[in-house]
Amino acid sequence: MSKLNEAGLELKADVLVIGGGPAAAWAAIAAAEDGAKVVIADKGYLGTSGAFAASTSGAKVVPPIAELRDPVKFERYAMGGFLSQHSWWDRILDVTFERAPKIYEWGGYEVPNYGAKGGGYGGGLQGPETMRIMRKKIVELGVKILDQSPALELLVDGEGAVAGARGYQRQEDRPWTVKAAATILASGGCAWLSKSMGCNTNTGDGLLMTVEAGGELSSMEFSAHYAPAATHSSCTKSGQYNRMTYYDENDNEIPGLVRDGHRITSAIAKALLKGKVFVKIDKPDTKNPDVRRQLQLGQPNFHASLERGGLKPFEEKFEITLNLEGTVRGVGGIRIVNEDCGTTVPGLYAAGDAATRELISGAFTGGAGPNMTWVTGSGNISGRAAAAYAKKLGPKASEREVHGVGQTGLVTKDETAQPYEANAVVKGVQDEVFPYDKFMFRTEEGILRSLGKLEALWKSVQGKPLQDTPQHLIRSREAVSVLAAARWAYFAGLERKETRGMHKRVDYPATDPNQRHYLAVGGLDKLWTRPEAVPEEVVAKPESLKEAAHV
Amino acid sequence: MIEIVSQTACIHCDKCVKVCPTDVFDSVPDGAPVIARQEDCQTCFLCEAYCPVDALFVAANAYGPEPVIEEEVRAKGLWGKYRRELGWTPAFTTKDRLKETRELGKRIREANERQKLESGHPHHEQPKQN
Repeated sequence: MSKLNEAGLELKADVLVIGGGPAAAWAAIAAAEDGAKVVIADKGYLGTSGAFAASTSGAKVVPPIAELRDPVKFERYAMGGFLSQHSWWDRILDVTFERAPKIYEWGGYEVPNYGAKGGGYGGGLQGPETMRIMRKKIVELGVKILDQSPALELLVDGEGAVAGARGYQRQEDRPWTVKAAATILASGGCAWLSKSMGCNTNTGDGLLMTVEAGGELSSMEFSAHYAPAATHSSCTKSGQYNRMTYYDENDNEIPGLVRDGHRITSAIAKALLKGKVFVKIDKPDTKNPDVRRQLQLGQPNFHASLERGGLKPFEEKFEITLNLEGTVRGVGGIRIVNEDCGTTVPGLYAAGDAATRELISGAFTGGAGPNMTWVTGSGNISGRAAAAYAKKLGPKASEREVHGVGQTGLVTKDETAQPYEANAVVKGVQDEVFPYDKFMFRTEEGILRSLGKLEALWKSVQGKPLQDTPQHLIRSREAVSVLAAARWAYFAGLERKETRGMHKRVDYPATDPNQRHYLAVGGLDKLWTRPEAVPEEVVAKPESLKEAAHV
Repeated sequence: MIEIVSQTACIHCDKCVKVCPTDVFDSVPDGAPVIARQEDCQTCFLCEAYCPVDALFVAANAYGPEPVIEEEVRAKGLWGKYRRELGWTPAFTTKDRLKETRELGKRIREANERQKLESGHPHHEQPKQN
């Protein structure tokens, strides 16, 4: 018996926001400030969900001055395979410059002076505090918050427009339905349940729901982002690995893992494929107790995870590994088709890591700045656009006849089938995406082998999901979600026969100028891709800017 | 992963049940919450940050249980430390945290300048956070 068919909570709204991180929070705030009646539903808790709350990240808050913005736009332009768009950077930077200071204002803190050279937010205020301030603002604006309420499927009207969503309140033990004029997916990326700092709420749910509603994804081939962590630890979030010295098991320094102050993930992966890798924070400046204290205070979670593991990072070496962060610090996500952060489906908007970040990151990671800027920009843009769309449709929009479009992992297609074991499916997917010799260093043969295994898993989940408890109901759907995300990532990776940004094809090591396009990807049983042109912009790189070279 | 709900410290407010992003705890009528789904814990330390009385402890190992003893954690000075460092205690607030961060930055810059004057080249740059 599926718990989803029981009586539950039913609400109507102008705008439904799905997600509980900063993009979702910004979207809810922006829509409510524009007069929309907003409901925000999150799998976890609005304030702790997602990568940012757990880990902290900074945005680029830069005044509209070309000399200050050009370095931001060009910092990763070449590394991103020339797929980012400078007009999108301007749009996102404008909104971030306008909105970021509000966090300090609402929190009762002194607003940093961004006038002179720009700065960040999130880096000064920690993630948990930033999210606490945003939640307080959301409550003040009268937004209805549904915590511990994962969305499981989108609702669609007779014309195919998205008109809300349905999910389950796991602590109330009842289904929820929100009929809305517009829906914003800000439910995060997919880190394939690797436990990378804060990412286990990010199971790619928004990607699956979008494709089921007829939408498309993009840049899923740029999804294999990994980050270093101590072997016991989930704490991948730290720029501190840029400042470390790397050693092999014989205590010899491994050269070439950090260049120009940035770690080179693929070089670390190669070293790890050869043997154990150890690190120590031992650059000369870290002898200064003030520097040590600054590092501890800047990343208290990082130091908590080491200290509790009995490690003394300033005095002793410790062993590291690479953890998969997937699309969270990768690029791929829901395809955006207009300046409103709209998708190919009417009534559906995407923000934050659920959306593709190709527009500003290109094929390279948006970690350490761009991603949080995207979150602020896309959250506010989608919130305002969704509120305007709802206004246009009028109050009758939430009265529409709708139906759920959730399929695999939600609907029982074969009543006689044995329910699949969700954890075993997740493990099967992880076996294909965790190993970097498979997912980072790609060959056609390897991709086809992984796709074959994922295809077999996809067949195994078609019959019947286990839905007897809230946990089973949710986990059965999550297993399908992470499986679907892995299939799209590998399928797009098969199609892009070149190396560009974080997509590394061992059998096509060069970048092919003829493949400077985005790859749209989608499909459920049958997958497809389609090249999409990058709009040509006249981009003159200022002479004074030197391109950093690290991939 | 989450290892300890201190029976002596817990005031049964169920805040941890509400805020855990992966729904690890179950509330218990008139009692301290129980760790019902430890394997789902992602080791984000946020339950500790939100606990108003420091009744919780998350061990460092994210990938398996690691039984720890409350007295030993306290003796090492690690009990409640994440909430303190975050600036979420009355004794060390976010304003205090921001102030200390600014002061450290200023002192480090000054030390840098001195170094530069003495040796003719910069000793190090400001740490970047990400």
